Amino acid sequence: MTSIVDLDAEPPRLRGGTCRVCGLVFFPFQTYGCEQCGAYGDALQPSPLKGHGTVRATTVVHRHADPRRPAPFSVVQVDLDEGPMVRGVVAEGVELEVGASAQLVKVADAGDDELLAVRFTAPPKES
Amino acid sequence: MTKLLGDLEPVYVVGAGWHRYQRLSQVGYVDLGLTAVRGALDDAGLAWGDVDESFIGTGHLGMAVGRPMLKHLGALGKPLVHVENASASGSAAFRLGCVHVAAGISDVALVLGVDKPRSIYRAPTGTHGLADDAIVPFTHFSLLSGAYTAASGVTDEDLAQIAVKNHRNGSLNPNAHRQQERTLEEVLGGRRTAGSLTSLQCCPVGEGAAAVIVASAGAIARLGIDPAKAIRVASSATVTETTTSSDQEVTREVIARALHEAQTPPSEVDVFELHDAFTIEEAQYVEASGIAPPGKYVPMLKEGAFDIGGQCAVSTSGGLLAMGHPIGPTGVGQIGEIALQLRGSAGPRQHPGARVGLAHMVGLGAVGYAHVLRKD
Repeated sequence: MTSIVDLDAEPPRLRGGTCRVCGLVFFPFQTYGCEQCGAYGDALQPSPLKGHGTVRATTVVHRHADPRRPAPFSVVQVDLDEGPMVRGVVAEGVELEVGASAQLVKVADAGDDELLAVRFTAPPKES
Repeated sequence: MTKLLGDLEPVYVVGAGWHRYQRLSQVGYVDLGLTAVRGALDDAGLAWGDVDESFIGTGHLGMAVGRPMLKHLGALGKPLVHVENASASGSAAFRLGCVHVAAGISDVALVLGVDKPRSIYRAPTGTHGLADDAIVPFTHFSLLSGAYTAASGVTDEDLAQIAVKNHRNGSLNPNAHRQQERTLEEVLGGRRTAGSLTSLQCCPVGEGAAAVIVASAGAIARLGIDPAKAIRVASSATVTETTTSSDQEVTREVIARALHEAQTPPSEVDVFELHDAFTIEEAQYVEASGIAPPGKYVPMLKEGAFDIGGQCAVSTSGGLLAMGHPIGPTGVGQIGEIALQLRGSAGPRQHPGARVGLAHMVGLGAVGYAHVLRKD
């Protein structure tokens, strides 16, 4: 699978994109075509996203068939600061309420599966 | 200049039949489909030879399953096409059948939905989200449930009442997958899937079949079809989602189009079959339709407004929650249920005085369908 997370950055960055024609910021990056205006190819440029945003919805998954994601775990829907909406898994032991800030972090070395290595958590408090 | 269904010749639903929706069994899809088709032909008083064209909605069965089934009705030789549009496969097949008859390409069309559950194959797109594997449908709808309850002040118990109502309706439907009434305690006490959703608030995906026959006014006269059985298809609408729209917004748009085309305000809808794969969907879609104002679905539900005999009977069949959601049959079965209701032939689940019906499906959130049926 194409890498959509830059795990070398700290905190990890999401590999998003920006449309040079209409300005849409999107995730993940692709050059098939802009979902808003249809521009494609070089009109779509890589644009790293900070992985920081606001929680819009959350739920606890009680049952899940995939053993790589043992239930229970929480998922959140996050509006990223740059615009795109993403959904991701919450770090173990963390509670993120609707309206709270969320930050994507690396929590595990998951071998070659970057998606298992990142979770959303509460960002550190600003001093 | 593009046209609407209503700009073409009138088209009518003249027959409906089912094979009961049920858990995966040893019954083959050929048996499931033939049972529904023969039921619909008998209901319409037609022979197989009267059918000009067939549209088969299926999500799970794979390539070209129609002829090995329909050949057992006798020699065919007439047009046959398979339609896949996720959960809306049956609705899409119905729309195509209506358009072909209304345009005069066919006089009589069979629309059949048939399916048996299996694991779904979808070719990779080459892009993926951050946690697609962690967010199965019940998790998606649990996220929506949490957002709805947080914004509206309704409780998890309020939403669970939707499952109580629809199981009560399903208990009156011999073709429903779930035919057992359930108390609020049973719904809430079931196995939790995600958030407050329990198993009885998630639709069963089993096997089954549903068929309807659509016909032109000319065919009704020529073939001697009982006019009392003919239910007019007043409109047909379909949309797809945009970059930012949700299932609810797709629903709002497609139902608004269908009601407008049928020149029908939401207040005139007597029976409403909708895509209640999960309880939260009924609340959101009834509000999106305009039948309940925003935020008023739950208070109206508690007053009985959506019961059989209430202001607008929602999911008299049992809905996806109790009637079941075998995919291909689901949208076709909705049309059959509404036809029975508008004829006054729905037996113990008859909504008194039903004259206008609305059917609604969404397919994987991405496509929306709505049809208005009217008893002339």
